[in-house]
Amino acid sequence: MARLFEPLIGIACALAAWEIAARVAGNATLVPSPATVWNALVAMRGSELPRDIAASIVHLVVGYAAGAALGLVLALVAGSSKWFAAVIDPFAEFLRPISPIAWIPLAILMFGVGGGVPVFLIFYAALFPIFVGTLDGIRRVDPTLVNAGRALGASRATLALRVIFPATLPSIFAGARLSLGVAWMALVAGEIVGGDAGIGWRILWYQEFFQMDRVLAAILIVGALGLAADTLLQALQRRVLRWLPASEGTR
Amino acid sequence: MNPIVELKHVGKVYVSARDGEAIEALANIDFTIRRGEFLTVVGPSGCGKSTLLSLIAGFNAPTSGDVLFQGHPITAPGPERGVMFQDYALFPWRTVAGNIEFGPQARGVDAAHTRERVRKLIEMVGLRGFEHRYPHELSGGMRQRCALARMLANDPTMWLMDEPLAAVDLQTRIILQDELLRMWGDGIGTAGDRPTVVFVTHGIDEAVLLADRVLVLGRRPGRIKEVVDVALPRPRTALRNGPEVARLTAQVWELIHDEAVQAINEEAPL
Amino acid sequence: MSGSEVGRGARVLLPLAVALVLCAVWEVAVRMTHSHGLLPSPTGVVESGAILTSSGVIVEAMSGSLKRVLIGFAIGGALGIPTGLAIGTVPALDRAFRPVLDGLRSIAPIAWIPMAILWLGVRGDAALFVVAYAAVFPFIVNASLAARLVDRRLIAAARALGAGPWTVVRTVLLPGSIPMLFTGARIALAFAWASIIAAELAIGIKIAGQGRSVAGIGQLMVETLYVRRDVDALVFYMLVIGAVSFLIDAGLRRLQRWMLPWSDR
Repeated sequence: MARLFEPLIGIACALAAWEIAARVAGNATLVPSPATVWNALVAMRGSELPRDIAASIVHLVVGYAAGAALGLVLALVAGSSKWFAAVIDPFAEFLRPISPIAWIPLAILMFGVGGGVPVFLIFYAALFPIFVGTLDGIRRVDPTLVNAGRALGASRATLALRVIFPATLPSIFAGARLSLGVAWMALVAGEIVGGDAGIGWRILWYQEFFQMDRVLAAILIVGALGLAADTLLQALQRRVLRWLPASEGTR
Repeated sequence: MNPIVELKHVGKVYVSARDGEAIEALANIDFTIRRGEFLTVVGPSGCGKSTLLSLIAGFNAPTSGDVLFQGHPITAPGPERGVMFQDYALFPWRTVAGNIEFGPQARGVDAAHTRERVRKLIEMVGLRGFEHRYPHELSGGMRQRCALARMLANDPTMWLMDEPLAAVDLQTRIILQDELLRMWGDGIGTAGDRPTVVFVTHGIDEAVLLADRVLVLGRRPGRIKEVVDVALPRPRTALRNGPEVARLTAQVWELIHDEAVQAINEEAPL
Repeated sequence: MSGSEVGRGARVLLPLAVALVLCAVWEVAVRMTHSHGLLPSPTGVVESGAILTSSGVIVEAMSGSLKRVLIGFAIGGALGIPTGLAIGTVPALDRAFRPVLDGLRSIAPIAWIPMAILWLGVRGDAALFVVAYAAVFPFIVNASLAARLVDRRLIAAARALGAGPWTVVRTVLLPGSIPMLFTGARIALAFAWASIIAAELAIGIKIAGQGRSVAGIGQLMVETLYVRRDVDALVFYMLVIGAVSFLIDAGLRRLQRWMLPWSDR
């Protein structure tokens, strides 16, 4: 019971600070109070919010799945062919410092303002950490395990699928957790700057009409969704990697 | 004599990744392993006994000479030469049952036969009730037995074992030695019926107890010092603490002693 | 794994060769479809790059952005490090405020742009707010982790020797935390750099076409996209942004290795 107490105090403090700031500002547009934001949330829930959230989720899922899939495939090929790895490693190193954000104008050029921009950004954001993480994992697979598989009569395909892939899963998940954070930021930025749907885009929409209480509500939703996505991934990781000894963190 | 593995003038040179130096792990190995025999390999640190095993397993190729299995050169690992590794090398993401069924699955044996075989093996190694545990939940002795069952699932002609009992405590080791002998068919039938075992170990008494012949290797470079015949009657369990085993153990130790001391003194810090 | 090792010479030449081939194909494709100017091409990018560098446009925009990155980064550190250290040393604070901080951390910094614009105006401080917001959390996370990892016994020993709390902070806590703080700084700077671009892009979209002078590279990119429509320049800007990211991180890593040779993460 005490364990629940302290976080509640922290949240209460934060809410109190917020309320004080709102009172001090005295202007509901400048600093919406917690109460007005709550009302805005309720109003939004009945109208656009579900649609916006759905649109954002679609953007995220499509982009992330595509980026992760490509990252996995490329890493697998690079893992088994030293020549391919020699070619693609420098390209990956070259592109890695260019954050997805930098691609926004070009993405707008390529896809026009719309869903394509955030999806492309997320695809790009997911691709590199997953590629690098998976390739790193593949390279670090214990060769004894591979030898054990060979001595048990596994073909190359079986080795890849039933030995190397499971052994790489922890690294894949590490890359996935990392890329989810970046992808989420790319989603919001993409929707704000170049999108036409989704919760990020909706923030701008509300701002156009100076509905700052809704703006703040939407901002909080963005945070909540981001947290939910990471929590889900963490839960998935714990389930898939339940064979890891407790010390090897699934944190 | 019925040869199953022939090593003809085998040499193995490694290039050290750290400083590019060439290390001669094995040199001038001429030896024939007889079908159905229990061969143990002993020697001081650095004598290349694990390297020898990996050549027979097919994980490495010799730098010079030939390694033949049933008359043909060994080019790759295969299910007929089953391997037990020093640290078990169990697949951590598979349960006990999952590990044991890996071999038959990989070779395409149908599900019904596989299930049956797995069940029998689990029974045989005494892991009933633990089929669905993951390796990290098992004790050392249990992992050992799981690794053994996994190897046996393919019914291999040869058992290649690299210090399989090194990581368990003494009591467990004695029990496992007896189980191993039993499963091999100690004292039952003729040599033709049994798998051929190549058992690498640090424990000289263990080597003498289990083996038909003990291959004693020397170090720097790894070469055959001597082949000691162990002409003791089988089954061997009863002889464990007897005088014959002790005498042979002392004899083998005599052969290794000086080089073992050398090895300790030269041991580089990890 | 496939048999042969790839030689060191090949390791450099092969990707270079592939890159050259790709560039050549790309160039030819653009020319053949007469889309030079509509689509970016390698020669176009080089040309634009030369013009923009020599005319000082990009240097000016870049310095504007970098200035704000550094200020935001400093603010993030000034706020984040003490907060993180406090949370790391007092478990009660950690338990109380961790959920709130995790929640705030989950909000993508760019989402605050509309509020930031409202509070601080469009001129540049709004972007600064976003940058500072992005930079503060890596500092908090790493500082709290660092504080928690500092050996409790050292603190106890110091206090037993009569050190007051401030002295403990100065002589035990801070030095022990420095490696992790450095890592946090590297992450914070990377986040800050990405955020400034995003913020400037968002602000730029808002004021596009209003003829205001360009304050940073993000706004420059928006203007290039919508007003001047120079596609080659866009690609050039991307490459520059990437180069700056790389240099910043490489520079910090080198600094870390120089200042703290025993740590390298």
